[in-house]
Amino acid sequence: MQDARRLELEEMIARIALGDRDSFEALYDATSAKLHAVCLSVLKDRPEAEETLQEVYIKIWQNATRYASNGLSPMTWLITIARNRAIDRLRARSSRPATAPTDAAAVLPSGEPSPEAATIRAQEWEMLDECLAQLADQQAGAVRAVYLEGVTYADLAEREGKPVNTVRSWLRRSLLRLKDCVTR
Amino acid sequence: MTEDTPLTPDEHDSALAAELALGLLEGPEAEAATTRMTEDAGFAQQVRDWQERLAGLAMQLTPVMAPARAKQGIRERLGFGMAPLAEDPTETRPWWRGPIGALAGLVAVAAVAAFLWLPGNAPITPTGAQPDYQAQLQSEAGDLRVAARLDGREMEIDLQDGAAGEGRDLEIWWIKPDGSAPISIGLVPRSGNARMELPADLDPTEGIKIALTDEPAGGSPTGQATGPIVAVADLTRL
Repeated sequence: MQDARRLELEEMIARIALGDRDSFEALYDATSAKLHAVCLSVLKDRPEAEETLQEVYIKIWQNATRYASNGLSPMTWLITIARNRAIDRLRARSSRPATAPTDAAAVLPSGEPSPEAATIRAQEWEMLDECLAQLADQQAGAVRAVYLEGVTYADLAEREGKPVNTVRSWLRRSLLRLKDCVTR
Repeated sequence: MTEDTPLTPDEHDSALAAELALGLLEGPEAEAATTRMTEDAGFAQQVRDWQERLAGLAMQLTPVMAPARAKQGIRERLGFGMAPLAEDPTETRPWWRGPIGALAGLVAVAAVAAFLWLPGNAPITPTGAQPDYQAQLQSEAGDLRVAARLDGREMEIDLQDGAAGEGRDLEIWWIKPDGSAPISIGLVPRSGNARMELPADLDPTEGIKIALTDEPAGGSPTGQATGPIVAVADLTRL
């Protein structure tokens, strides 16, 4: 994402924090199709994704004042809220007790917003595809499924027919390998 | 790094931060990691770095437009109370679509015509009256007709004839000439017309096609077309 677009989104969120409804509508128009895709990817159910999308934007309206201090880029902040909300709903569906992803990082002040962060992130996003391709298909698929579909370790273990500890160990290594690759 | 060497403490921390960002931790482990994030700034930064990195996966998802009623639902819940963007499909036909409406429309046209006849008036062009692009969609059997019109970034979808089957919806797709995956831009209203805003990364140009597919009620559950294409047409500039 170009810097101009990032600044535009940051400006919108800053105005929303001041209660500007027009900016809120503009942010919705600019980002809702992407956040809806995130909700759909996790929930795989159109009406539930639509309902979740509404909750996500209500949360954005309510939490915009806390955005400036959290150190995340605007798209990451928005995507994280949408993903977490969708996963909360996904896990509420099943009877299995599971811990919801934490929103804490999305609201926790970072203290030191880094000026290079945006550039680093842009580079990492560009590398992501290439680096995923360097993992074995099964591992890349697992990373995608965990992030984009809210798959848990228990789900992965069931899918692979392996103990939870085994899948946890290889997912952790896949994630570290991915990080090494994108930050290279 | 081979499969059997244990993780170094740094690798362990980074993996833990990733798991927290992903929501993979459960019970006491999740609590401990969350607490650590509030106390250990370096660890909190690692969690955020993972959030940034992984958000790139979501950036690759094909955007799927939500129906206009979602935006209206948000406005209502936040107490903004603005006029609806689209007709509620559960409502009965609004009066202006009925016979009285047609009559009122004729009167309105006559009034405008009379007004334009008055000398000394500069011609008045109502803003947004002229669409920029349009697509006229028709099923092969001719029993379904849908008009799509684009005025700036606002798209109007008008169901002129026919309807989706029982328990089904017609989904509207934006197909770029570059062969990329079709992007859902919403559902055809059950009756009448609906207006929607184009997502920010879609730009109307020549070569775009608009297609309708037959999908389960509420639209494709996956965000990709699952049903047969019912109609397809070029988006043409006017």
